[in-house]
Amino acid sequence: MNPNYNITQEELEYIERYINNNMTPDELVGFEEKLNNNPNFKNQVEDIKTLLLGIETQALTEKIETFHNELPDTKSPKEQPSKVRHLDFRKWVAAAAVIIAVGSFWFFNGNSNSKLYSKYYAPDPGLPTTMSTQDNFVFYDAMVNYKRQDYQLAINKWQPLLTNKPENDTLNYFMGSAYLAQGETTTAISYLEKVTELKESAFKNDAFYYLGLAYLKNNKIELAKETLKQSNMDDSKAILSELED
Amino acid sequence: MNTLTDINSSQIIELIKNNDERVLKLLYQSNFHKVEAFVLKNSGTKEHAKDVYQEAFITVWNNVKTNKFTPQNNHSLNGYLYTISKNKWMDHLRSKHYKKTVVASKLNHFEISNKETQESHDDILKENRLQGVMQAFKDLGLPCKDLLTKFYFEKKSMNTIAEELQLDAASTRNKKYRCMQKLRELALKKK
Repeated sequence: MNPNYNITQEELEYIERYINNNMTPDELVGFEEKLNNNPNFKNQVEDIKTLLLGIETQALTEKIETFHNELPDTKSPKEQPSKVRHLDFRKWVAAAAVIIAVGSFWFFNGNSNSKLYSKYYAPDPGLPTTMSTQDNFVFYDAMVNYKRQDYQLAINKWQPLLTNKPENDTLNYFMGSAYLAQGETTTAISYLEKVTELKESAFKNDAFYYLGLAYLKNNKIELAKETLKQSNMDDSKAILSELED
Repeated sequence: MNTLTDINSSQIIELIKNNDERVLKLLYQSNFHKVEAFVLKNSGTKEHAKDVYQEAFITVWNNVKTNKFTPQNNHSLNGYLYTISKNKWMDHLRSKHYKKTVVASKLNHFEISNKETQESHDDILKENRLQGVMQAFKDLGLPCKDLLTKFYFEKKSMNTIAEELQLDAASTRNKKYRCMQKLRELALKKK
């Protein structure tokens, strides 16, 4: 930065128009002549360029910091072995607690339904994410979160879309899938039921299947059977035959 | 899984040049984990991965902005971001500072071109000036920072900004000018 000059508002805007390509052809001719003949002016223009670039770069630097903090937490790649030793002890305790909790749930529950549920349940893999239209942007953005198993974030993004399109089968289906994946079975049921009640939907078959599974998890065996019978997926039939045994 | 694939490449260049937040965010978030995996595999930490990736991201953004890199499609944009990140990390590993602390044989074998590291004196001077402005902008008072961000980063029109600030266009222009003066002064002091 050269401290030896001052710049007026008009001069600044004049140079900015040039940098942003907003000059009329006539104005541009005059500007370039000045640029070629006046080294001081040339420096001034360079300085303003640096100033504008600096603003943008710093703004972007701060922006991407927020992008980073909002990164969906995927299964993060393997850390180096040496890192493992630094893992917080409390994390292991927490992990152990979860395992014990889940284990004792099965043990005390003695419940074959939840075993059956976990034997067959795998979250719907989601839709291929594209960004074809602006309307669908939020939907597919959330789908990315869904696929990364960040179900709550996906739900938060889909929820507002659903208020505009309460009957949309795709939205209802994936809201249900996300809640189910999160273990909020009862909420999941209400969304999945909606899909199965629709006259026509590409998701109907899958919805019946997952709804059946959800009922199963909630120990509503008769409902589960009824529902699974309406899905022609192989897994539905397999569960049904296990339930009959 | 690539969420940028369906925007055509001329559109994406425009969107990046306009600092479209959704596109920048997608670009940022869809490539980070790949780079992170690479850095972790090559003697780095998560912190390293973040630093090197953010630096690369700014470089890519700048090169698209100045037409130094014109992506043919979005795969090439993602690939470019990955390559730059990778090269930056390799440069770091080969730098003197790093070599002092790590045995070279621990590094995996790699090949990169080293042309870009040969910076001329002029470039370094320019870079220093830029860093000065960035630091100054970082330290600028919030009202000015906000206003200038709207203008130069978000590229909002004068009228839109005037409306947001509930000012008339002339006062907004003047305010912007005074903020630019303040920023210049701050940047000068840094030197």
